[in-house]
Amino acid sequence: MTDRPHLLLVDDERSIREPLASYLQKSGFRVTAVADAAAARQRLQGYAIDLVVLDIMMPGEDGLSLCRHIRETGEIPVILLTAKSEETDRIVGLEMGADDYVLKPFSPRELVARIKVILRRAGGGGSRQSAPESSSYGFAGWVLKAGERILVDSEGVTVPLSTGEYNLLLALVTRPNHVLSRDQLLDITQGREANAFDRAIDNQVSRLRRKIEVDPKNPMLIKTVWGGGYTLSTEVARL
Amino acid sequence: MRRLWPSSLSGQIALLMAIALLVAQAINFALALRERERLVLTQVSAPTIARLIDAVERDRAGQPVERRFHHLPAWRGIRLNQQSVIGPNMRPRKDIADRARAAFAELEIPVLRIEAAEGDIHRGDRLQRMTQARRAVIGDDRGPRPTLVVTAQVAPGRWISATAKLPYRDNRFIFWLIAQTLILYAVMLVPVLWIGRRIARPLQQLTGAVESFRSAEGGTAVPESGPGDVRRLIAAYNGMRTRIAGMLDEKDRMLGAIGHDLRTPLASLRLRVEGIDDEGERDRAAGTIEEMNRTLDDILSLARLGRPSEAETRVDLGALLDSVVDDFQALGADVSLAEAPRTTVTIRPTLITRAVRNLIDNAVKYGGRAVVAVGSEDGGVVTTIDDDGPGIPEDRIEAMFQPFTRLEESRSRETGGTGLGLALARAIALQHGGRLTLANREGGGLRARLWLPV
Repeated sequence: MTDRPHLLLVDDERSIREPLASYLQKSGFRVTAVADAAAARQRLQGYAIDLVVLDIMMPGEDGLSLCRHIRETGEIPVILLTAKSEETDRIVGLEMGADDYVLKPFSPRELVARIKVILRRAGGGGSRQSAPESSSYGFAGWVLKAGERILVDSEGVTVPLSTGEYNLLLALVTRPNHVLSRDQLLDITQGREANAFDRAIDNQVSRLRRKIEVDPKNPMLIKTVWGGGYTLSTEVARL
Repeated sequence: MRRLWPSSLSGQIALLMAIALLVAQAINFALALRERERLVLTQVSAPTIARLIDAVERDRAGQPVERRFHHLPAWRGIRLNQQSVIGPNMRPRKDIADRARAAFAELEIPVLRIEAAEGDIHRGDRLQRMTQARRAVIGDDRGPRPTLVVTAQVAPGRWISATAKLPYRDNRFIFWLIAQTLILYAVMLVPVLWIGRRIARPLQQLTGAVESFRSAEGGTAVPESGPGDVRRLIAAYNGMRTRIAGMLDEKDRMLGAIGHDLRTPLASLRLRVEGIDDEGERDRAAGTIEEMNRTLDDILSLARLGRPSEAETRVDLGALLDSVVDDFQALGADVSLAEAPRTTVTIRPTLITRAVRNLIDNAVKYGGRAVVAVGSEDGGVVTTIDDDGPGIPEDRIEAMFQPFTRLEESRSRETGGTGLGLALARAIALQHGGRLTLANREGGGLRARLWLPV
């Protein structure tokens, strides 16, 4: 066994499967590519798979069903490929236990970045905060619904978040009362290929504070640790 | 007059019934009154003429004409005068005079002249004064009873008159008419209102269903009730609704298939693009694919807008705008948001996000930058997006909302876009019961105003 993570790619569409497999190989992964769910189940039993990239729309057993099977039998993270952008499909996918999803047509670089984030999360954290995407977190009267990527206040009003704000808040909420440096936050929220500046994190933090703090000038939730970074200083309950 | 005319079906039926009833009653009363008057006159005039004939015959026989009761004159209503007692203020009754003349002719009693009239004879005698006094005591304010006078000139300077009291002309006729009409009306109003409601209620339900018909799946079929005509109308509507739902289902299936079948080759292309060595070329190719995908998204969204899959939720609009602006800023676009107060609206957040994103995208693309602000107006919230571009000629503004319309006629893809962005944004605004308008700002630039009800 090499150090290279082993990915299982399941897509019935040859025109996607083959170029994607070769791109992922070039990006440093070991890739097993199969065309349907039956073959995927076989490989899952025969190999130590680190992550599954799964197309939702397949003839025969579809991706969602296979995803549920994977979730029931193990801890292997799943990224869904979907051609639909309908909100409901995303949420259904995440309820089935997928860790993330990518809309077709996707940038293969973005897919690689997401694979790396999830592998790092699964490998590093140990405990499977695994499906953070499918969970809800309650803190200080707020509920962050990771599956739907929305934040809801105590009166049930949705407070939309930008992609940057959402990633930052998810990082903080999954590690409450930990001090996270700007580098760590950049790394967690944007993947290794991020080329953002530290200021970007500061900017996002002040935006988030405007949305969730009672008094943004005197933050009680997202606190600045001098010389260290930021910390979410409140109890977080997984719902 | 326009204000008095009720707009509802029941109200109109009730009012029409009232008017028709009043007219019918009036005609009825007029006929009855005429009949009564004729009857009375016949009854009164015949004996009067008979007494006159009797008096004239006695006169011709040389007997006294006036019978006196004590010292009161003309107790039996026969008087002897030197001229006609009919004054100028009495109403001549030619019909009665004709009857009298015929009676005299039949009996072959020669007279010089015969006249007849009705009215008040002011005699000024004691009897009249007494009668008036008695009436005043019992509160009878009808005035003196009218008198019928038939008079015959038997010789020059010798007139014999027979008088008789007529029944009162009833001045309270109009009150009777109204009272009776009201009673009839009250009795009829109950069934009228009942039938009105029976027709109007199913029609109201139907109206509500038609008005709220935005998507065929929302709402249920209207229950068939009311009279047969209304039932058939409702059944026809329900049938139409089912057919529309079927057509929309069909469209959705087709769109889903198109979306999937186009996205898969696009995805494949996008993967192969990574194989291009020249980085600039690769980015341009990826950009083109991304744009094709966005166009596909816009077309699918516009087509699916009739049956949104997303539920309406209460959303902080300020935070929504802020998140969109942040996403633009992250891409390096010159987009700013004025401090947005917390404004809660009930919307489909994904759709509104898309509308706002399209508007900001246009502002950045054609106007260099976008300044976003939010405020309340007209019982709703209005989001304004200003740019510093050249604006749009006034006569072209409305055309901009048509799908696939862009300002430059060439349809060159240099500036990007398919002309769907505004059409989609307006469709989304309308779908939320709001509106989207464009206007040139004073001092240059364009302002898009997205108004949403709260």
